[in-house]
Amino acid sequence: MAQVPEQNDWVLALAPGCDAEQLVRSAAEGYLFSRIDGLTPWRLLREIGGIPAEQVDACLERWLDDGALDVVGGRATTSGASSGAKAEADAPSVDAAEAPSNASVAIDEGALDDRLDIGLDVQRRILEYEASLGRPYHELLGVQPGASPKDVKKAYFKLSKEFHPDRYFRKEIGRYGERLGRIFKKVLEAHEILSDPELCQVENQPAAAPVEAAPPVDAATVPESSPTKSEESAERTKPAKPRPLTKLERLKQRMPFKINHAALNARRQQADEIFRAAQASQQAGRLQEAEASIRIAITFDPARAEFKEALGSLKIAAAGARAANLLAKPSERMSDSELFEALRLIEDVLPYRPHDPELNERAGRICLRLEKYDDAREYIETLLIRQPESAPAHTMLGRIHKALGDLDAAVRAFETALKFDEDDLEARRSLAAVRIGARDAARGGSTS
Amino acid sequence: MSRVIGIDLGTTNSCVSVVENGQSTVIPNSGGYKTTPSMFGISQDGKRLVGHLAKRHAITNARNTIFAAKRLIGRRFDDPEVQKSIDLCPYEIVRGPNDDPRIKIGGKTFTCPEISGIILREMKRVAEEYLSETVQEAVITVPAYFNDTQRQCTKDAGKIAGLEVLRIINEPTAAALSYGMNRQGDEKIAVYDLGGGTFDISILEMSDGVIEVLATSGNTFLGGEDFDRRIVQHLVEWFEETEGMDLRGDTMALQRLKDASEKAKCDLSMRDVVEINLPFIASDAEGPRHLNYELTRENLENLVHDVVEGTLKSVEQCCVDAGVQAQDIDQVVLVGGQTRMPLVQKRVTEYFGKRPHKGVNPDEVVGLGAAVQAAALLDSDNDMLLLDVTPLSLGIGTYGGHFARLIERNTTVPVSKGHIFTTTRDDQSAVKIRVLQGESDMAAENDLLGEFVLSGIRPAPKGEPEIEVSFDIDANGIVSVSARDLSTGKEQSITVSSTGTLSDAEIDEIIEEHDLYEVQLKD
Repeated sequence: MAQVPEQNDWVLALAPGCDAEQLVRSAAEGYLFSRIDGLTPWRLLREIGGIPAEQVDACLERWLDDGALDVVGGRATTSGASSGAKAEADAPSVDAAEAPSNASVAIDEGALDDRLDIGLDVQRRILEYEASLGRPYHELLGVQPGASPKDVKKAYFKLSKEFHPDRYFRKEIGRYGERLGRIFKKVLEAHEILSDPELCQVENQPAAAPVEAAPPVDAATVPESSPTKSEESAERTKPAKPRPLTKLERLKQRMPFKINHAALNARRQQADEIFRAAQASQQAGRLQEAEASIRIAITFDPARAEFKEALGSLKIAAAGARAANLLAKPSERMSDSELFEALRLIEDVLPYRPHDPELNERAGRICLRLEKYDDAREYIETLLIRQPESAPAHTMLGRIHKALGDLDAAVRAFETALKFDEDDLEARRSLAAVRIGARDAARGGSTS
Repeated sequence: MSRVIGIDLGTTNSCVSVVENGQSTVIPNSGGYKTTPSMFGISQDGKRLVGHLAKRHAITNARNTIFAAKRLIGRRFDDPEVQKSIDLCPYEIVRGPNDDPRIKIGGKTFTCPEISGIILREMKRVAEEYLSETVQEAVITVPAYFNDTQRQCTKDAGKIAGLEVLRIINEPTAAALSYGMNRQGDEKIAVYDLGGGTFDISILEMSDGVIEVLATSGNTFLGGEDFDRRIVQHLVEWFEETEGMDLRGDTMALQRLKDASEKAKCDLSMRDVVEINLPFIASDAEGPRHLNYELTRENLENLVHDVVEGTLKSVEQCCVDAGVQAQDIDQVVLVGGQTRMPLVQKRVTEYFGKRPHKGVNPDEVVGLGAAVQAAALLDSDNDMLLLDVTPLSLGIGTYGGHFARLIERNTTVPVSKGHIFTTTRDDQSAVKIRVLQGESDMAAENDLLGEFVLSGIRPAPKGEPEIEVSFDIDANGIVSVSARDLSTGKEQSITVSSTGTLSDAEIDEIIEEHDLYEVQLKD
């Protein structure tokens, strides 16, 4: 079925009481049905993906014939072409910015609400403007096709002042807030396209090659009757003509972003170079340097899996190396800040080697010195699972218990240590100290 | 209805304004000053000091006085700017539990929004004293380069101060609003903002009270401090030449040089020559050495000439972005103390071919503009309308780690924009939409705001399915993103909410604590 130009801008709405169940024959039709919202013009409905335009036309016409749909807007104008002239001819025109409040666009009177912080005439104006958002951009802004950027800007500012949501900031305006948002976004889009010479040219094409359209549909005629077939057949004889861009085409044409492939390739090469340098450092044993380089390589090219794998294995190797380094210096000779640093490093390394006895012992000693007794106990108990007969470990456990105030447990731990190693001086001394302390405490208690 | 104030929350000074009877006024504090230092300190006896009191206190107790917290707000601890501050600031900056920088003074740790909140509370108090009524709402300004997190943190600071923040607007935009108030007709305005640490240039268009941002550009690493640094460098070289001593390693001497240089620079805006006199700047075996140098304005201009030219490069870029020629600009508004320098004024005048606007005070114009925006939003008599813009580009991550920009920075809001995307594998049934914000072409270098999956795509060869991704920003800056499979009509969407460095619970906790403190004060 041919395209019927004056239907392009018709805005359809569901007639009261129409029954979707009976109308819809397929899933595709159901989807089309769901898009009929009293806002979307015919030509946009036609572009909805998945359904051929002919099918959309046929389907919409059938529904119109059945009386399931009403034409609620867009009748007074036709697509692009001679609309400017026609708008003047049709007495109650919908000329964009200058539209009088008694314009012919059908609006939902039920949406008017006198309880809102917004005058009824303004509400009417908003509803009318919203109902005709499907018009060509220059009509929306109320300028002539090919208007100067200055005029476009002036119209845009004027409409902004009318429809920008900030004009009603904090006012009780009900659902008009959303309507204003929709209108302003569309006005903004119109301004953006019309002030871009390239996009504007494409947009104005229909105006540049005017088409003899079918006789204007009188805006006063009620939209119950379906469009006549004779008009359609008259249209069919027309040669191919420029048409307004579909939404899809417009989307495709307006590349909002450009990918700079040259720059990206350069980055990839850099990433490769840095990665090679990292491998060299790794072979030379400079693990920290290698890790830093791989990280840089990853920022240069985040998509490469091999970089991330290399980083993972390097981290494990580096963890082992760092652990060895740490174990080289006895914790007794470290300052507090060094202890914290060492503990942090050990905590980094432990997830890779959770049961390493040396690491656990070291962590326990450090925590003990830092008075983090609960942590210390956890480390030493982990160590004892691996080395249940380690006298130094039991001694340390005893010291932890003592610090935590559990003297009985401390005594038991020291005794266990002595059992495994009679010569453990530290255990012996600590045990004696605890016993003396306990005796003194008992004495103190009795005298008080 | 209580009145709404506008606050310029500056790095060094803050300023509060209000619109009264159609005129915007700067509100002086109880000391009669129109600006208040953005400083907060704790005295030895535990008293909390804000503003001028804190500044005086800083002389004797620098370690317990916070200044320039704005440099830290909304940044990560590892941010280079934060690391730079750690080196330069006398107060202690520590890593917070959310990886945010926090400041420790007087044995207590403060978050950055909390410090800004304390300063905002002071500004609120100044306004309440002047207006003799409580103030609950404000418009606050931030630098144009501030990202989402920094803006959200500034909002949180307002909340901590007991203020509802109606809007956060850009400083240059505010300056233009202040200029544009009560002015009719069509004009293109350039706002040249040279502050202490950053340079911003914005070009705006104004017509019958509507103001639109055409373009913004700038350099976050260029500002008045560079001028100071040039002088210090010059003095160090001169000292080395005449006295044979290198002062570069001596932090104490460098600090004295920096203070003296800043003062000399300011003085040279009004005088032709100043004397820099620093006795006992250093000493060696032969005894103490003194630095005594006469700096002329010409001298200074030669030192910083290229810095000023650097700003003009940004100006040129901004003109290109805005699609205007320098001579099309009808009015140039200067913002920031550094624009008092005659050389800056001279070069700007030469560049635009006209003298900068004289009617505004560069220290007050931003705060006044914030008040104008407050009035524009709430006062029905005020006919101004700001077509505000989104500060950073928004888009999604695409195949190969690219960033596909759907909404460019400086796009007017509210706005909605869409683009068609497709699949990268045959019979791919789902796509992951990662919503990103930032200016890099690489997805990984931008901030991830949120992500969602659109599934149920019909099996098809790669590149065939058409998925429309739409971005929508409403008038309050809230971003929602939807993806729709055009062949099935299936749709998924997400609303992105920006977060600061503090959680709501943390903010409430701080507010409670400060309320307690307020009560204590009154006792």
